[in-house]
Amino acid sequence: MAGFQTRKSKNAAMMGLCMAAAGIGLAWLALILGALLWKGFSGLNLAVFTEMTPPPGEAGGLANAIVGSVLMTVIAVVVGTPVGILAGTYMAEYGRFSKLTTIVRFINDILLSAPSIIVGLFVYELLVRPMGHFSGIAGAFALAVLVIPVVVRTTEDMLLLVPNALREAGAAIGAPRWIVIRSVAYRAALSGIVTGVLLAIARISGETAPLLFTALNNQFFTSNLNAPMASLPVTIFQFALSPYEEWQQLAWTGALIITVAVLTLSVVARGLTGRRETR
Amino acid sequence: MSQMLPIGKSAVMTASVPAKPKVEVKNLEFFYGQSRALKNISLALPARSVTAFIGPSGCGKSTLLRVFNRIYELYPNQRAQGEVLVDGRNILDRGQDLNLLRAQVGMVFQKPTPFPMTIYENIAFGIRLYEKLSKSEMDGRVEQALQRAALWSEVKDKLNASGLSLSGGQQQRLCIARTVAVKPEIILFDEPASALDPLSTAKIEELIDELRSEYTIAIVTHNMQQAARVSSQTAFMYLGELIEFDLTETIFTAPREKRTQDYITGRFG
Amino acid sequence: MSSVSAAMPRSAAATARDATVRRFALSDAVFRAATRIAALLVLLILGGVAISLVAGAWPALSKFGAAFLVSQSWNPVTENFGALAPIYGTIVTAAISILIAVPIGIGIAIFLTELCPRPLRRPIGIAVELLAGIPSIIYGIWGLFIFAPFLQTTVQPFLINLFHGVPGLSGLFAGPPYGIGLLTSALILAIMVLPFITSITKDVFDTVPSVLKESAYGIGCTTWEVTRRVVIPYTRVGIMGGVMLGLGRALGETMAVTFVIGNAHRISASLFAPATTISATIANEFTEADGEIYTSSLIALGFLLFVITFLILALARTMLLRIEKRTGA
Repeated sequence: MAGFQTRKSKNAAMMGLCMAAAGIGLAWLALILGALLWKGFSGLNLAVFTEMTPPPGEAGGLANAIVGSVLMTVIAVVVGTPVGILAGTYMAEYGRFSKLTTIVRFINDILLSAPSIIVGLFVYELLVRPMGHFSGIAGAFALAVLVIPVVVRTTEDMLLLVPNALREAGAAIGAPRWIVIRSVAYRAALSGIVTGVLLAIARISGETAPLLFTALNNQFFTSNLNAPMASLPVTIFQFALSPYEEWQQLAWTGALIITVAVLTLSVVARGLTGRRETR
Repeated sequence: MSQMLPIGKSAVMTASVPAKPKVEVKNLEFFYGQSRALKNISLALPARSVTAFIGPSGCGKSTLLRVFNRIYELYPNQRAQGEVLVDGRNILDRGQDLNLLRAQVGMVFQKPTPFPMTIYENIAFGIRLYEKLSKSEMDGRVEQALQRAALWSEVKDKLNASGLSLSGGQQQRLCIARTVAVKPEIILFDEPASALDPLSTAKIEELIDELRSEYTIAIVTHNMQQAARVSSQTAFMYLGELIEFDLTETIFTAPREKRTQDYITGRFG
Repeated sequence: MSSVSAAMPRSAAATARDATVRRFALSDAVFRAATRIAALLVLLILGGVAISLVAGAWPALSKFGAAFLVSQSWNPVTENFGALAPIYGTIVTAAISILIAVPIGIGIAIFLTELCPRPLRRPIGIAVELLAGIPSIIYGIWGLFIFAPFLQTTVQPFLINLFHGVPGLSGLFAGPPYGIGLLTSALILAIMVLPFITSITKDVFDTVPSVLKESAYGIGCTTWEVTRRVVIPYTRVGIMGGVMLGLGRALGETMAVTFVIGNAHRISASLFAPATTISATIANEFTEADGEIYTSSLIALGFLLFVITFLILALARTMLLRIEKRTGA
């Protein structure tokens, strides 16, 4: 059985390679997170959250960038989530069997993985150019455009998991469709839809490209949505590429903050859907 | 009992009971896309009595039931032709409001379908749709409905628990309570006990027996003993056609059609 | 008459019911319309993106015409722009990254579905997917400060010496080791797309009916043979879809590349040379671009990227749809 020996060793070799691949993947994650923790933690202190971004060569914090990021993210979620949920509702409920739904699903999937820098260009043409200046609201709008496809996708998926028998039961006691959707379907799909929103927040909180030429940046604190607004990712970008050591340190610390926020959101979102699966 | 029955498919088949019909079906056809699932069905359901529909799977009995509250309208490419008169009014009319129709024609499904809310809310949800009640009135109605479904004693201490926390048989009785709570005139049962154990099944059958004095009831079942136990008249359907419709006793003891006899004696189906 | 008096309260209740019915009909129509408008809005967004990009790119496209696609010059002073260098950089970095990420991604997927001990399967799967959640700017900053210096001091000099004098390869690995450049960008992109490819491949592997695998094991196949002869052929279309999706990401990725590409508008044979990609060019130059033609040329680059990624992603989705349909049927 010489053939059997060759086959066996070939199997062992290929499986070894697969294991090595998994090792490489995990090692890389460890390397990136390790570097981030090591570099980021050394600059982490209270001033990071309380002080404004400094001029070159001085100490300071990231307060205005953090506030700007939070502000734009909140607006984007508040604007994007209802649109996404409604569109997902159409696809899974009223328009489940319509041609429009097939088209929207296809286009939405493309938007889901379209380069975010293109969304930045779109909002530049749509808002920044007509308004004549960069603004926080344009940045928030660009982020909202990124929120919508994520929420549409998860809302549709989660509503499709709601058994039809439940819809029939709702209709059978005389409830109009929209009340069945609101009181029965949404309730049954709630944790999944919340997961979608959390994933959307996780996605936009690290987005840089669409903010570069919509919100731009601002060295000072502002809550004026009509003016350029700082954000954590754009500040990291600017500071990391600068020659100043203080700025580079702040960039690392900012990167750590974003990563922790994003990973926390993903883990929480996963926890929500994980519970569903086991039930 | 020995009255002559109208013969011939185009004639309205009426079971020989004196009661005035609550529902009259005339020349009903039903289509899934191109395929015809019901062929020229005509029959009348007497008020305040139980009518059973039996027949092998795919014979169209569930399809017929789903015409009575037009629940099929939730799906595309399904349509009904002909007339279904409820109290003399054709519910297949375009002008018929579907929500109102379904409030008047309740339905209990094969599998229990409690809504993802508390036991109390499961009942109150339907009542609230068409009636504005005070808290105490609502409490009364919820209790009444649960009493009616013989569930009250089992759940009265945990009305705020999720409806999904109940056992299968309890869930099905919750669904019956939910249905009677909105005060329909007709209740449709689509194989209501097929997913339940024998004990729960017996309870459901008992319930149906109690409800017959107030409601016009139509029940689809694949269980012939069940049909014999709960119904006053029985319709036997086969391949989308109504083969025979008569008093339950007659159907099970002296069917006129050979196919009916073959089916009840277990020769096919 | 008693029947009339009995009818009175009933008709009052009936009026209330009619009002409720009308209210339901109206509110349902409103909600339905709202959801439909939201669904149409999704189409409108994509349409808006296309229209705004064409409009913004029009001045440059009409001035340079087809030359925009084949010209290598990028001169803000003379306002003469061509997209060849960024297109070249985009395609080369994306292609190399896919070449690296696909075998590793499939390897991890095989490891997760066939080899991994059950208790470890979920944690490792999650860890790989967490890689996908890390924002690209993190990869960028890590690439710039940690990875590029490492390449510059160890890997690149080693490769340059190794291939020195070897015909063909010496040109590919030539020049001073900057650390940043085409190869560095491609490696960072490979790390970025790896989780996407892995998780999609794992998902499509899970669609293989276990009877199919069991019967192959039953006739004495090794794990590798089952994977090679049964699992991979069965899921080929789905894997291709995953690869295309990864390619779409790699082509459009901005921040990770912008940090480490070097932003040089030239095409050189060496993989160590600084270069640029479409997205990096836009990110680096857009806010500083003065003059209509300069801005318009950058938007024209964006339009090119949009067209390329749209086609790739459409292809990817069509492929993934095919495998979904099969499992659905």
